[in-house]
Amino acid sequence: MSELEIGRLLRAGTTGCVVGCRVQQLGAPAFGGMVRIPLEDGVQVYGLIHDIHIDDDGLVRQLVTAPEVSQDIILDNRQNRNVPLEISVLFIGYEAGGLVSHLLPPRPPLSLDAIYICDETEIARFSAAGRFGYFRHVLRDPELPVGELLAAHLQQAARAHAQAGRQDWLRAATQELIVLLRDDYPTLMTVLSTVSEIYPE
Amino acid sequence: MPVNYQQFQQQLREKGKQAKAQEKDRRERLERAQALLDQRAGDLDSLRELVAEAARRDRGLRCASPLREPLTYRAGANPPAQNPVLFAADGSQVNPSRHDAVEFGLINIGLIRMTPGQPQAPRESVFSTLLLFDDLRSPQGALTEDLVALRRDLYERTRLAEAARSEPQPVVALTDGPLELFGEPKDDARYQETFNQYLDALEQTASMNVVTAGYVDKPRADLLVRLLELSLLSAENLAQAGRERPLFGVTDNQLFEERLQPGERSAVFAIQSSSAEKFSQRSGGLALHFFYLNVGRAERPWLARVEVPAWVSRQPEMIDLLQHTLLGQCAQLGGRPYPYALHRAHEVALVTFQEKEQLLTLIEAELRRQGVVIGQKSYKQAAKDLEGRGRL
Repeated sequence: MSELEIGRLLRAGTTGCVVGCRVQQLGAPAFGGMVRIPLEDGVQVYGLIHDIHIDDDGLVRQLVTAPEVSQDIILDNRQNRNVPLEISVLFIGYEAGGLVSHLLPPRPPLSLDAIYICDETEIARFSAAGRFGYFRHVLRDPELPVGELLAAHLQQAARAHAQAGRQDWLRAATQELIVLLRDDYPTLMTVLSTVSEIYPE
Repeated sequence: MPVNYQQFQQQLREKGKQAKAQEKDRRERLERAQALLDQRAGDLDSLRELVAEAARRDRGLRCASPLREPLTYRAGANPPAQNPVLFAADGSQVNPSRHDAVEFGLINIGLIRMTPGQPQAPRESVFSTLLLFDDLRSPQGALTEDLVALRRDLYERTRLAEAARSEPQPVVALTDGPLELFGEPKDDARYQETFNQYLDALEQTASMNVVTAGYVDKPRADLLVRLLELSLLSAENLAQAGRERPLFGVTDNQLFEERLQPGERSAVFAIQSSSAEKFSQRSGGLALHFFYLNVGRAERPWLARVEVPAWVSRQPEMIDLLQHTLLGQCAQLGGRPYPYALHRAHEVALVTFQEKEQLLTLIEAELRRQGVVIGQKSYKQAAKDLEGRGRL
């Protein structure tokens, strides 16, 4: 199980949460990356990163007007100053008593709960459980860049499954998406066109 | 009730009518001052004698006094042989208020250490001093806002001296505002004691040969203008200096705005004033000097007044280093030049209203734990704290 902590929870709801992290921690999380939030009762909440938001402030806005920003000032702003850096996570399921569920977690995590990046074993284990039920959480939210998010996740998950010898996982996942989106042709086309970019030549 | 806009507009229109005439008058005075500046640019000895004579007649005289460079002198920045370690300190305070449930004060000093030109993250530190019980009053009276401000200035100075001690030369130490202090009441023993400690800290900094400076942004001083006014007075009228003001309204800033090119500094002048005299009476070259520096751009000049102690201005390489460092720092803030390190020190030191409320809660909790009966905030304050209609 990965112990790579990327930040701590700022706020959460039933369907997702926002995580605050330091700039030095930003190397690890990526758009579409899968994360795990352990709760106190042993439940693990799983989610997908769908937004990484770097806020500005008055000083940063002024610094960008300088013809040249020196390295020490860049480091100061990244390491010392409270640059607000937020990662938005969409919940896609949870694990309780060793069983993975693609339903929404029974309760959201609490303030300052730690968030960890999932390793390939965890990604493969979560995405192999059930029949891609967690896709509906992504497809349901009209605010999300659905195609891009699914493509990023599928690419990561396909790599994890390939490591485990399941080369056909990506094809099965795509098939499931076609079924789920059969009544929504515009979204299906967007998703398929994005997902096609991750298919091996 | 909101502002009475009808009255406000009427007054604004009346004042507005005066603006044009006032501007014309100020322009004429400025032109006269500029001509006088050119005319007396090289009369350094006679101007110095004039200041000395006028100060003998009027102890409260306040003006500039020339040193070695002509009045119209200007100099660009020479890159230093070695980049300095730069420290900036700034303070923030909570003034004691009798309206709070527990009267307390706090002095917070933010200190930033930077190494310009090196890819190293600056180091920030914050030092907090709680003022409670006996700190707030003594037989001489209650701790005034001026005394808190003076202590803040002292703590800034002592933190800079302590920080500079362990650093290799050259070291530049910046604070915001003038080095000269204007607090009142000056006859209060507590003021005198703290002021002497401030001078001690400056002496320590001098013994380490630290390039010390106070940075005054958007200065409105007219020290040089007052010197020019002095030169207009006849010998018998010299005692009228500071009272007869033929160039009133003109500032030094206006005098140099069109003269100094971006990056250039003016001549270094001495400050003649009763409070500056206390600095000169100390050993170690504490006399207060200053120069103007254009930290702006060609299309938008922006002048700062930089106060330095004499031990700095006597060493031209130190003035060069200071000028170069300040320009580098100001350039970092782009269109609104101001030393980055000073801004960061301010940011670190700042105590917000919410923080003050948190501190008060902590103090109340501790006093309750000690079994002390806590007072109440004043009813006046309680009424002000009621949720209003959202007006300032």
